[in-house]
Amino acid sequence: MSFQRIWRLKDILLNLVGIKCSDCGYTSYPPKAACPKCSSRNVSRISLGSSGKVVSYTVINVPIEGFENMLPLVIALVETDNGRVLTQLTNVKPEEVYIGMEVEATVRRSATTLDGYVPYIVKFKRSSTNNA
Amino acid sequence: MVILFRHVFVVGLGMSNVGRFYERSLRDLAGEALFKAIDDAGNAVPSFILVSNMLSSQVEQENLASLIADYCGLRGISGFKVEAACGSGGAALIAGYSLVSSGLADVVAVVGVEKLSERSTPEVARGLAYAADADFEIPYGISFSGLNALVMRYYMNKYDVRREEMSAWPILMHENGYHNPHAHLKMRITHDDVVKSPIIADPIRLLDSCPMSDGAAALILASDEVAREYSDTPVLIAGIGNALDSTDISSRFELDSFLASRLSSERAFKMAGLSPKDVDVAELHDAYSINGVITLEDVGFAPKGKGAKLVVEGKFRPGDKPSINTSGGLKSRGHPVGATGVYQVCEVSMQLRGDFPGIKVSGEVGLTQNIGGVGSNITTIILRR
Ligand SMILES: [Zn+2]
Repeated sequence: MSFQRIWRLKDILLNLVGIKCSDCGYTSYPPKAACPKCSSRNVSRISLGSSGKVVSYTVINVPIEGFENMLPLVIALVETDNGRVLTQLTNVKPEEVYIGMEVEATVRRSATTLDGYVPYIVKFKRSSTNNA
Repeated sequence: MVILFRHVFVVGLGMSNVGRFYERSLRDLAGEALFKAIDDAGNAVPSFILVSNMLSSQVEQENLASLIADYCGLRGISGFKVEAACGSGGAALIAGYSLVSSGLADVVAVVGVEKLSERSTPEVARGLAYAADADFEIPYGISFSGLNALVMRYYMNKYDVRREEMSAWPILMHENGYHNPHAHLKMRITHDDVVKSPIIADPIRLLDSCPMSDGAAALILASDEVAREYSDTPVLIAGIGNALDSTDISSRFELDSFLASRLSSERAFKMAGLSPKDVDVAELHDAYSINGVITLEDVGFAPKGKGAKLVVEGKFRPGDKPSINTSGGLKSRGHPVGATGVYQVCEVSMQLRGDFPGIKVSGEVGLTQNIGGVGSNITTIILRR
């Protein structure tokens, strides 16, 4: 992960920009140059929105290089109305996470890139309307 | 439509032991496997070498075909490296098959090699994660184990599969691998060992996970016109198929199934004119327990959601039809990443020839399935005695 990559992807990563197919209506994330369902190139950008539900999650104890200081790392697949996104969960203890948990987007810092910059990305936290 | 020009046979094979060999280099391991394969094929001289590998950049070496050909006295022949993450071996075999089938070469060497023990676990884990989506997954710090853990939890939740049912897979793998002389982890394990092993990426525990291995395996492929010159027991590659899926798992159509496993199997079975019930012995790509279980289902050996439960009931043991992973699979034989697909074809070919050095099973039809990424690049091969 380099600073250049984060800078290049910032709009997509910070606004969770996916695609919607103009021909078949399929929506997905991350963005592609053509529709995964029907191969049409008539795709437009669409925001995933800022809320969703956890469909699966994991707690990483053995990190990849660069994330050694962020353990335990809670990673989730979050289903929004317009597609699924792989993300980090924040402000939650690993044992509090469950499938179906409602979450909302928040901007947080990520691990320092291998070339020494501090990137900000979208993570998800427990939805504020659901403090159960 | 497949227009088949020439049939392709495995006429020679060779493997190094799988393990962590601090004293051995990438070229040394590859050379051992290649020389064994050439000797096994009656000193066949390949005109092409295809090297399958994923992470040689970690040992600061690319351009592997030149390196290994020259190291083994084959300067001047043709060749190149093939990369498809952990599925590199299967991909190189498709390329090798095509060279022989098309008539571009009569005798081709396919050499899979990986050397991981030179680097630390976080460095290797980062390298393996490059099989995922570097733009949209790596920024979150996901590991390859983590991606598979997301699939495992989703699957267990959807089909109500319990922890002890998932553990039946690694227990069977270690039972098989215990008897395999070239296996990396030759030890028996119990359910208790699995649930007490450290959590790598919850719910994946250490004993759900394959080891990071060094190793090399080689195959000599030859056309029907010359195969009998090199081997009395040539093994026919009756079907071969590959399929791709997204590198990211966010946009998968399904999370509890590998589309590319199903499609590549269908392609290989169609080409061979066979079906899953014809298979006597198979090697599946169980980088994690969940991959073994899901691919049992996607290849067609188990109904959806029943893979783990059938293993618990005693299916797929040596002698069953099919026998699965008599080598011990990635879990016990080990996972020398870019070489694994070549090991699988060596092992199933030996079962069909009758000279597999571990637990022997009888049979005429074999299958291998080699996975790159989290099910994103999969090659399925049908072998026939
Ligand atoms: Zn479409």
